[in-house]
Amino acid sequence: MNHDNHGGAALAAGLELDGLASLVRSFTVRIETRGGSSMGSGVVWQSDGLIVTNAHVVHDERPLVSLGDAGTLDARVVALDRHRDLALLSVDADGLRAAPIGDAESLRAGSLVLALGHPHGVANAMSLGVVHAVTTRRGMPRYIVADLRLAPGNSGGPLVDSTGRVVGINAMIVGGLGVAIPSTVERRFLHEVSRSGATSFASPLAA
Amino acid sequence: MSASSSPAPAPATVLESLSNDLSAAVRAASASMVAIHARRRIPSSGIIWRPGIVVTTHHTIQREDNITVTLADGTTVGATLAGRDPTTDLAVLRLNSEVGVPIARAPLGAQVGQLVLALGMPGPSVTAALGVVSATGGEWRTWHGGRIDQFIRLDVAIYDGFSGGATVDAGGRLLGINSSGLARASAMTIPLATVERVAEQLLASGRVRRGYIGLGVQPVRLPAGVVTQHALSQPVGLMVVSIEEGAPAHAAGVSLGDVVVTCEGTPLADPSELLASLTGERIGTPLALRVLRAGALVEVAVTVGERPRRGEGASAHDAGRNG
Repeated sequence: MNHDNHGGAALAAGLELDGLASLVRSFTVRIETRGGSSMGSGVVWQSDGLIVTNAHVVHDERPLVSLGDAGTLDARVVALDRHRDLALLSVDADGLRAAPIGDAESLRAGSLVLALGHPHGVANAMSLGVVHAVTTRRGMPRYIVADLRLAPGNSGGPLVDSTGRVVGINAMIVGGLGVAIPSTVERRFLHEVSRSGATSFASPLAA
Repeated sequence: MSASSSPAPAPATVLESLSNDLSAAVRAASASMVAIHARRRIPSSGIIWRPGIVVTTHHTIQREDNITVTLADGTTVGATLAGRDPTTDLAVLRLNSEVGVPIARAPLGAQVGQLVLALGMPGPSVTAALGVVSATGGEWRTWHGGRIDQFIRLDVAIYDGFSGGATVDAGGRLLGINSSGLARASAMTIPLATVERVAEQLLASGRVRRGYIGLGVQPVRLPAGVVTQHALSQPVGLMVVSIEEGAPAHAAGVSLGDVVVTCEGTPLADPSELLASLTGERIGTPLALRVLRAGALVEVAVTVGERPRRGEGASAHDAGRNG
């Protein structure tokens, strides 16, 4: 049977997904507590070692960040915001591959999204789905709700759009739906931290 | 510290266009989605079938008074229940004004493997889930005896607002109405042909008329001698185990213990075959039954009546097994 003319778009989509997974893997890190009791994921936000993740995966002042081929490094907690469930870590590294940051406001119900993370400790697992709804507050995206299979360990990892740009940080599973904090919120968080000084959210572990 | 401005990755053209197509499909169908306020807590989903008419699932309409409907543009209008059919899990609402954009219908039926979106509106905005058609089949009967023109099962996650919402193709065109109430909470689609047929009946008379003769039957195996003697085409028949007092079969003289072997000349092996012949169109017409009674083959003509209305609580037994 000649398959040459069948499934061209589907096969191409599969190849592109493979490429996207490689891209997203290159800026997704694993975050572990010393002692290995808790695990989550994170996103390399800047090539100088700045990493964004969820506050709820950070349990001590010196979490371990696993960068894949680049090894495992001690990280410093730069800022922690329990309310927004965001944390900023820094590792002593340079020339890391930073994630391209996308525009969460461009997402619509039905837009394709991918998540990468370490669900239940499985390294670099990818899931594919669509945006279920984007909830808003004061006209700004509040949460990206996705029809997408997530599990504990995806927390802090990237939700990316069909071009591989990070549109959110996966933070919760509610009623089987993935809930991510939109990139607009991460941007604002970083902006606030940089304006007020890195330690203004200090004593983070007391929070 | 500002967000990194690393160069954008090379465009993933197929995925990007697929993503754009899917969100465009949701947007196109969204204009025809509504949220129905007819139960506690979260609203349920419905679809504009034509201006002023909403189709939805029966099991999500939990209140028949004070129903309101929120349209895609955010306006809320009052609605009345035009009718409901528990057997096919469909209900139709009449809006208090002829508003709403009717949903576009898919030109072809569902195909296994086809990408579909399950849309809902359990609140102010339309929600989407992506999946595929996992199985299709021919006409089937629900456990409440309703006729569904095509079997369509989806592989799609069921979230709040699934039932009563739309199963649409990748172009945003309607394949049918989502229901998790037909087959053990699995994701099913009530096909367009069924929606069309049932909605028209509900609008015309507030109910789906079904034929009725008032018999309870059970398949039995017939002795070889009887089969040979009467040259029957199969060694089974349907034994009459109950007759409702005053029902058409009672009036026609059918007795307990009679074994029905054919209906309109067609051999019967299962009660569902007898049930299938009792369509609404047969009401008032004679149904020719061939019956084994005390060793003899006799012809009985039963004038089909209309099935009395039962509450929503009609059991599978009542609705499904009795002719």
